[in-house]
Amino acid sequence: MKILVIVSQTQDTEAKIQVSASGDSVDTGGMKWIMNPYDEFAVEEAIQTKEKHGGEVVIVSIGPARVIDTIRQALAMGADSAVHINGDGFAETDPFAIGKLIASEIKKLGEFDIIFTGMKIIDEESGQVGVQVAEELGIPHVSLVSKVVDINADAQKAVCQKEIDGGHVVVEVPLPCLITCPDAMNEPRYASLPGIMKAKKKPLTEVGIDDVNFDGLGFGKEAVSKEGARVKTISIEVPQIERKLKIIKGSDEPMVRGEEIAKSAQELVKLLREDAKVI
Amino acid sequence: MSNDVWVVADLKIDGTIRKVTFEALTEAKKKLVGKLGGKLCAVLLGSGVSGLEAELGKYGAEKVYVVDSELLKDFNTEGYVNALGELIKQNEPAVVIAGNTVFGQDYFPRAAARVGAGVAMDAIKIDLSGDNKLQIERYSHSSKAIQTQVFHDGATMMSTVRPNSFKAEESPTTPEVISGSVELNPADIHVKVLELQTKESDRPELTEAERVVSGGRGLASEENFKYIYELADILGAAAGATRAAVDAGYCPYDMQVGQTGKAVSPNLYIGIAISGSVQHFAGMGSSKVIVAINKDPEAPIFQKCDYGIVGDLFDILPPFTEKVKALLSE
Repeated sequence: MKILVIVSQTQDTEAKIQVSASGDSVDTGGMKWIMNPYDEFAVEEAIQTKEKHGGEVVIVSIGPARVIDTIRQALAMGADSAVHINGDGFAETDPFAIGKLIASEIKKLGEFDIIFTGMKIIDEESGQVGVQVAEELGIPHVSLVSKVVDINADAQKAVCQKEIDGGHVVVEVPLPCLITCPDAMNEPRYASLPGIMKAKKKPLTEVGIDDVNFDGLGFGKEAVSKEGARVKTISIEVPQIERKLKIIKGSDEPMVRGEEIAKSAQELVKLLREDAKVI
Repeated sequence: MSNDVWVVADLKIDGTIRKVTFEALTEAKKKLVGKLGGKLCAVLLGSGVSGLEAELGKYGAEKVYVVDSELLKDFNTEGYVNALGELIKQNEPAVVIAGNTVFGQDYFPRAAARVGAGVAMDAIKIDLSGDNKLQIERYSHSSKAIQTQVFHDGATMMSTVRPNSFKAEESPTTPEVISGSVELNPADIHVKVLELQTKESDRPELTEAERVVSGGRGLASEENFKYIYELADILGAAAGATRAAVDAGYCPYDMQVGQTGKAVSPNLYIGIAISGSVQHFAGMGSSKVIVAINKDPEAPIFQKCDYGIVGDLFDILPPFTEKVKALLSE
């Protein structure tokens, strides 16, 4: 089987967020860059699929030169080769153009069976690119797959369980298809030391923006920029929600005495009714 | 290109319309329809949905586009994409909105790609810019930032909206019903639904609940989650959990609130034995009132809640639940 994984690099959102001087983006100076956590599930699922059915895992990633660290991590986990669409303007364009660019490079890779990717990226939290790549490639997608029940390479179909609000559905999808991966789908492996050594020698193809064939994409090179985005972020701010911070403590915290506990429970109920007016 | 604003109805498994649809209709009427000068329309997609048009009219929909087909049964993504895509191509509305439900996140961006439209996801505010382009606000970066995004092309502008972000208000009208304009072809549907499993629960769904009671790993067992369910049921609240509690196996993944679970925005969020990690706050930080019960006075949640008690949940919760029950039964 030929298994593709679309992998993104993202800012570690554990970090404190600061707005850049221009006011329309987050200051990334000094920020840690990591593999998008959802994409880790996608890489793991791809490697498990390869272990079961044989074949190869190809990583596809888009972004500036720093993205290579994330690609190497995926290769160290067990992927076989990678394609890196290398450029600086991608972070500022919109998912619409990103999806089309990724799809156009995937088309060059020839026939494949399945694509895995994370359900969304944790910085933008938009979750559009995966399904848009599927649309662009004209293949079906199944999103939020909590479990791949079965893949039958010979019959060219897969059975997956996907989450919906209030339950889940089990679907059968013909291959090739695209699957988006949520949290808790599997347990992503750590890269082993030999894995890291091997990753350095695995083939990595670099594609520059000038190598992209824009014919048929419906937009030109200029769309791959902030100015060209259809949906533009014009400002970003760090919200300040004022909280009341009315904390009830016992005389010796945490409180242990029954009388104090009963009183504090009563006080909280009163606050919720009279101060917050929510019950 | 018309000046109409569309809201795609979000349906529950039981076939009723989700509250977020009425919220979106109300807000679209208030913020978009007047200035654009078009009509407020609803789109009703599903199997056996005819008859729900009046409900959409109750919240101001002047026109309802209906595609009622067996092929749309059981939340069939391709069916929705094909139907909505075709309707947009035929009518070219100015704006299309849907709820940012799990299913909305699935079919909506693909429908946008189908018609070549830009799309914004999970808006908490919708408005128009000076030159009548859709302008939205949304959370990003684990809800630690709010982005303002504006559309700037001539195509249809599409966005999902977060449930519980707007108030639904009735504005009754009798809608014109338009059906039969889209014929779905079974050959275009490749994904087959083998089975639909629903969760039996009398509790409201997390994403649209007015009140949420959540438990953390401090609950220490699946059995102890009964304390969470008991308080939730008395309050008519949804029950949630942290990732740590889900990972420990105390409750199912669909109860997970946070960055890797569901985003909720209730009036009242009660966090029991929850420390208040960045990832958890990414899913509930926009709640109007946050209440914490935790035995660790240093827990980060005490720096970002409205009310709290420092104490052991097993001591505090029983009398608290009792008193809430007494108050609500008055």
